[in-house]
Order: sequence, then structure tokens, then C-alpha cells
Amino acid sequence: MKVLVVAERKGTELRRVSLELAAKAKELGETSVVEIGGERYSPLPFVSALAKKVEADAPDLVLLGATLNGRDLGAGLAARLGRAYAADVTDIAASGGSLEITRPMYAGKVRARMRVPLPAVVSVRPGAIPLRDGAPAPQVTKIEADAAAEKLTFAKFAAVASGGKRVSLAEARVVVSGGRGLKGPENWNLVEQLADALGGAVGASRAVTDAGWRPNEEQVGQTGKTVTPDLYVALGISGAIQHLAGMTSSKVIVAVNKDPDADIFKVADYGVVADVFEFVPAFTEAVKKVRAG
Amino acid sequence: MKILIPLKQVPDSTVRVSVAPDGKSIKAEGITWSISPYDEYAIEMALERKDADPSTVVALVTVGPARSRDALRQALAMGCDEAQVVIVDEPVPPLAVARALAKVIEETKPDLVLCGKQASDDDQGFIGPALAEVLGWPHVATITKAVPGDGSVELWREVEGGHEVWTARLPALATVHKSEKEPRYPSLPGIMKAKKKEILERPFAALGIDTSGPMLEVLSMEPPPARGGGKILKDGDLKQVAEQLATLLRDEAKVL
Repeated sequence: MKVLVVAERKGTELRRVSLELAAKAKELGETSVVEIGGERYSPLPFVSALAKKVEADAPDLVLLGATLNGRDLGAGLAARLGRAYAADVTDIAASGGSLEITRPMYAGKVRARMRVPLPAVVSVRPGAIPLRDGAPAPQVTKIEADAAAEKLTFAKFAAVASGGKRVSLAEARVVVSGGRGLKGPENWNLVEQLADALGGAVGASRAVTDAGWRPNEEQVGQTGKTVTPDLYVALGISGAIQHLAGMTSSKVIVAVNKDPDADIFKVADYGVVADVFEFVPAFTEAVKKVRAG
Repeated sequence: MKILIPLKQVPDSTVRVSVAPDGKSIKAEGITWSISPYDEYAIEMALERKDADPSTVVALVTVGPARSRDALRQALAMGCDEAQVVIVDEPVPPLAVARALAKVIEETKPDLVLCGKQASDDDQGFIGPALAEVLGWPHVATITKAVPGDGSVELWREVEGGHEVWTARLPALATVHKSEKEPRYPSLPGIMKAKKKEILERPFAALGIDTSGPMLEVLSMEPPPARGGGKILKDGDLKQVAEQLATLLRDEAKVL
């Protein structure tokens, strides 16, 4: 099978998901990796450039990361070329003349195995494909976005004060989220200090973002971000079904909550029944100590 | 300004979904059907424009089975103006759904189309970008704010560290990640008014569109791997529990 991987960069580095895709593509067959150059993602210039490349190379499968931009680009490309499309896939294998994929449906409440006819476009969830440390960086060919296809005008970038310096939530290997149990935005230093000790990103429950304690972009759950880190730490989060949908695929889940009957404990690998205000500072110190060796 | 929202009726996000005995679909019993959450955000975003400028017309369309009328009725009760349903009884290719919506858009001529970024049943997120492709319209994905100007619209898109702000000439399309306010509840007068509104209805086959396109086939469905049976630490000195947990994360879970 001929596979074209569409890589994405964050700053100067290839995103981790692009390395994951390149590793998976190699298992599936003959692989090439392409990156689309352009100041920032915009659908029409990116779809046009990529469609041209796909028509020229005729890969059976185009793989993208199921990132903010990757999901939009993948859907647009599939529509443009009349190819089959599957989004946010967690596993993929060749099967006869088609693909067999696994993907979450119903906001993660169901896992479906599906047959995807070829040729296809598939976006793969970051973190779903295991990546060996020290896997060789793929050779990347750069193509330019088709500026002539643009119909939008970029007006400005409006930066938010929060975030920015920490790792991005969707790709973080460690996520520490806070819920209503934190009692107010003034207590978020507890969440941030633990996240910093663990080298992770900060998340929040919907109750917290709805209350305006934290920006929407930090919301984990059904109408926020789906995360699949190696370690997810839920602080003062009760575990509403919509929140669980966004984090139950994490490898290891730690929950800290005062209420021993909180639903979050049903999905936790390690649960601590305690007051977050008493436990988290002690835990942050313990993490620092253990990480220091 | 006319804003059109293609919406989808999906199982309510608060209901538990379980796999049917055939192993390939979900159990219909016990399902409450609702407007997909991201479509509700799109509706709220459009209605906020209507609050600011009452001449705004908010129209709805859905491609789905007959029960989808209830979702349209619910959106009309929130304050939308008009609605139509294209009835399909069997699954159709997603690309054909996009073509059906494009046909309705050519007829109803909205200035702005707002799609939820994905429907929370299949969670594919295909229809919005595909519809923009079929129409040849500019689109901005996963917006959180739309500010109409003179013949154009400013679209705010949440990215890492802030918002990109794009300007599109109308007509344009956007997929919606979130509205500024939580979606409103239908008011009692809204519910009464919605009951009297006519919902235009026609079969998918009557649209006369190309219905071809690739389709995915469900081979099997299962609940996500069960979790739980985790260790609960609750007794003893908090400092000791904290150290015990950190050590377990390093030595047992191997994530530190």
C-alpha cells in the first residue's frame, strides 16, 4: 500500500503525532511524508496544494494527525477528491483491498471497528500509536500552500494571557485538570504547581470553564478537548459522563476527591479520598522528590 | 442577514449509550434524542445575532429520519425562524448529505452557514468542511465568535495561545466549537410559537442530487475498555499517602 503522511510542525519541531503517523505508515507500506508550507493553516490553500500532490502521487491512503487543523484539512481533502474519510482513528490496519480501523463514536461511549474502502483519507488521534523513543526522524518533503486559492483574509491574532508557555493540552503526555472542588480561579496555582512538577499541561472540567474560572480552550470533555496522555490527574472533579468521555482513554488516571462516591473513582487507577487543598501541596512535593531521583 | 444551521439529532449527551445485541449498532431503547451539542452552540451564536439585529433570519435544515422533526421543533422553540427536513430512512454517503445540504443552500440563499464542528454520534466532523468544498465557499473551522460586518463576517477561531481572527466575504461557512454564552432554553412563548410553525418536509430522493460517494461500514461496536478496580488510598497521614502515590506512579505505573 502507498501511504502519504501529512506532517505538522509546532514551531520548528515536527509534532509528535507526525512521528507516530510516519512509524505507522512504514508498517502499512511504501511511505512518503509531506509538509505544507504556509504562514498559517487556511483550508482552501492547504486543500488545493495537498489535492494536487495526492492526484500526482496517487497514494492509497493519506494519513493526517487528528489535530485542530488536521481534522479540517482531512475532511476537506476527502470531499474534494471523493475519497472515503475516517476521523480520529485510534488503530488502523490493512485488510485485503481496504482498511480496518478502530475509532471512538458517541463521544467516546462506544468503540467501533469499521471497514474503510480505498482510496482513503484518515486522521489519527495523537498518542494512539505507540512511538519508540529514538525512532529516526522521517524525511519530509515540503510543498507550498496554494495562495491563489485563498478566499479568506487574515485579520489578526488575539493572544490570551493564560497558557502559551505550557505544552499543548491535546498532545501533552501529562495532564492535570481541576474541577469545581478547587472552589475558585484564585486556587489554580495548586493545579499549575502540580502540572509544572509533572511537566504537564493544565485542563479543566466544563463546570469550571462555564463559570469563567478558566478559558474554554482548557476544557476537557465532550464539548472540549479529548486527551489521551500517559498520566491524567483529576483534582476536585466529580466525573460527569461528559468529562469522562474526554479522558478515559488516558493510560493512567489519578483522581483526588473528597467524596468517596464520586464517579471519577470508577475510572481511576489510583484514587485518593482527600481534600485537594490538603493533599495537592503534599503530592506536588512528593512528585518533585521522586522525580529528582 | 440570513443564517442557516444544518443540524443533526443525536442521542442526548447525558444518556448512557450501549451496544445493541447485533453488536454493530447502539440500543434504541432508553435513548433520548437531542440537538447535537455543537449544533446547539451554532444556534445560540445565530440567535445572539438575532437578539442584536431582529431582522436576522435564522433557518434550520436537517437530513435525517422523521424523528429529526423533534430536534427542529426544539430549535424553533429556542427562537429560530424556519425549518426544513430532508427525510432519509437508510444511511446515505456523507458526501451525498453534503450535496443535499448544498442544494438546500442554493434554494434558500443564506449569507452565513454555521455547522456544529461535529455531530456527537459519529463524531466525524466531515459535513462542515465537505459542505464548504461542495459549495466552493470559504470557511473557517471551529470558531467561537462571529461578528458580521458590511458584506463580510469576522470569524474568531481558538488556537493554541489565543484566537486567529479571519474575515470572510459573504456568503461564507464556519464550523462552531462554542458560543460565547451557553445555549438558551426554549421559553414558554417560544414553545407555543414553535408548535404553529410549519416544517417543510421532503424525501431525499426528491432533491435530484448525485447520491454516490464512499461509505464506511461498521464491523462491530463495543463499549470502551472497562476501567476501574483501581487502588483507593484514603487512610493515614496525607504526606505519607502523597509519597506512596508518587512512588506507585514511578515504580508500578511507570509514568513518572
